[in-house]
Amino acid sequence: MTLTVTTRPAAGRVAPVGRRRRDRSARVLGYSVPASLVLLAMALYPMVVLFRMSVSDVGPTNIIGHWNFVGLANFAAAVGDPATWAAALRTLALSAVLLVSNLVLGFLAGAVLSEPGRLTNLVLGIMVFVWALPPLVSGSVWKFVLNDNGAVNAVLGVIGIPAVPWLSSPTAALWTVSAVTAWASLPFSTLILRGGMLAINRDVVEAAAIDGAGYWRTQVAIVLPLLRPTLWILAILTVIYSFKSFDFFYVLTQGGPGTATNTLPVLSYYAAFNQFEMSSGATVAVLSMVVVAVFAVPYVRSINREDQE
Amino acid sequence: MSLRHPRRPSLRSGAVKVGAALGALLLAGTGCAIKTDSGSSSGGGSGTGTTTLTFWEYYQGTQLTWLQGRVKDFEAKNPTIKVNLVQATGQQFDQKLLASVATGTTPDLFINNIVVDYPTLQAGGVMADLTPYWDAYSGKKNFPENTTWTTDGKVYNLLPYTNLLGMYYNKDILQQYGIQPPTTLDEMTAAMTKIRAAGKYSGVALSGAPSVEGAWLFAPQFLGLGVNYCNLDANQAALSAAFQRVAAWRSDDALPRAAATWDQNASWQQFMTGKYAFGLNGNWQLGNVKKANFAYGTTQFPAPAGGKSQVFPGGEGYGIGAKSKNKDAAWKFLTEAILTPEAGESIYTEAGSIPVESQAADSDTLNKDPNAAPFVKAAQDTAAWPKNSQTAAMQQALGVAVSGVISGQTTAEAATSKAISTIDAAKQKGGGGCA
Repeated sequence: MTLTVTTRPAAGRVAPVGRRRRDRSARVLGYSVPASLVLLAMALYPMVVLFRMSVSDVGPTNIIGHWNFVGLANFAAAVGDPATWAAALRTLALSAVLLVSNLVLGFLAGAVLSEPGRLTNLVLGIMVFVWALPPLVSGSVWKFVLNDNGAVNAVLGVIGIPAVPWLSSPTAALWTVSAVTAWASLPFSTLILRGGMLAINRDVVEAAAIDGAGYWRTQVAIVLPLLRPTLWILAILTVIYSFKSFDFFYVLTQGGPGTATNTLPVLSYYAAFNQFEMSSGATVAVLSMVVVAVFAVPYVRSINREDQE
Repeated sequence: MSLRHPRRPSLRSGAVKVGAALGALLLAGTGCAIKTDSGSSSGGGSGTGTTTLTFWEYYQGTQLTWLQGRVKDFEAKNPTIKVNLVQATGQQFDQKLLASVATGTTPDLFINNIVVDYPTLQAGGVMADLTPYWDAYSGKKNFPENTTWTTDGKVYNLLPYTNLLGMYYNKDILQQYGIQPPTTLDEMTAAMTKIRAAGKYSGVALSGAPSVEGAWLFAPQFLGLGVNYCNLDANQAALSAAFQRVAAWRSDDALPRAAATWDQNASWQQFMTGKYAFGLNGNWQLGNVKKANFAYGTTQFPAPAGGKSQVFPGGEGYGIGAKSKNKDAAWKFLTEAILTPEAGESIYTEAGSIPVESQAADSDTLNKDPNAAPFVKAAQDTAAWPKNSQTAAMQQALGVAVSGVISGQTTAEAATSKAISTIDAAKQKGGGGCA
């Protein structure tokens, strides 16, 4: 609810236009100060510290005190370490799984859930619940369910399929955790795409139907092209999400078995907060941020373009 | 050696000052920051002559109940001293302590996870030098040498109770197959082979997580041979044999592959199902094991061939903040509430930790419990942790290697080579010193 109060200056006391504009600018500037300060303190300042850490030698002995500047040595070490590249590849694998899930499954689920009905409302409610669940909670449940002697393998056993080492196999663990992460992010993409579908002019869809297009033909030939900007933004957000996804990996496998699920955020966390190698952790985090920034630029451009349209 | 540069960066610009202030305010608002009562973070006191000691801790459950009881008793005997227990998140404990040095607000007292935190906190200047207090303490004769954690000959941390690893066994299973509780790793392997051959039960439940926990459980396989983090490179054969043993357990299905991601709690839950002959875990499970629906017993961690049973000491260290203005009162609390024989007995009965104070360790309370005896014995001869600021990195490297071997991601040979090179690199990064 918005309450608008309009005040009118008294007759004969109207200020000059230039002065009114200046006053307004000053007022707008004043209003933006608190938000700017919070942004400086909570976002920009930590990022500056992070960058400083990545070009310094910071370990447990000097974390409080002077940080020696080492230039790009930390980046050279990180780039030269096969573990970083292996972690980057795993992160890309997670991105691929999330892209398929969020875009393909999200589109299908969004299309199905665009049809009104009680079942739709029920499913949407469940999806919002899943989306709102803290990853630490849902991750713990999945860990229990996917254990070697957990519920999933018990069900497989009933139908004669041998148990699958979902989380303990170095081959399966990455895909399992990626699937759980995809499960958690699917509601968001579904809701976004469903919103986009509902915003499409019904006349266009009905015209396609009159021309003889079936339901799925309409979805593929009419709805999908019209959703392209939304899909593009969703894809960018998905890649960004995969490069900062940490919770499920921490809860389900702690980066293991061995190093099988050591993605870039996990690598950064263990270096910084387990081994207190702050520089190494910060360097990996900065490298991740570079990737995120590469995708953030077209994202911001897309948003601006949408606003202008 | 000076650990901190004399030119500490100062908050020069107004923007940074405002940012820092806002950050602090917001942290306080979120409840994430450690809260202290009115102005008593250190040097606390009121106009009424009462000294308030701030004590940062992360205990949970029975340990917290025990500590609260000690505080209550101490305050009753010392009405002019109040102890303010401040609960903090264990994961962020080190960072907060390190930050408190910069702001001059280290707590008067704090506990720390001695296994990984001591080198970091000591090097970060968090801990006060306790040497004068310890030297003058009349009760120190009742504590073994490894109670004090020292650097450059100075005492910084005390370990009055310890948590140690040992072996729990399922008596029902062993009796069914006519097996005596093993005392060596070879006997344990033979026992598991026999049990697995029948196909009814699994061999051992242990933590093989790619972390400090996995390393902590694995190290006793070579510690008793005089091999530790400091001399692994010169004892490659011992480390390789340990990895090969674990790989063999895995290939024989005596050790499930899922153990590659189990932490100690998860492995304990598995042992308690009654499907495993052995469970390698700590004395803190002595209370929980009473809930088992099978007969059980305990022994020391099985010894490697040609060596003895030896484990690393774990548990919480007690320190006094370097910036505390109430060091005398804090020491009084330690000597009257934590280091006494009574405190030693009560932490065993209430929380299952093993006291190292001789009167408490020799008390009937501990000695009449046959399941506690192996842990008490282990506490008398523990292995020495490396004295290097990169100890946590060394353990992480070993944990990752163990998890890799159990899961089949890597071979025993590759794990040996990788662990030795990574641990050596960490050792060098930490100054090269170790023992």
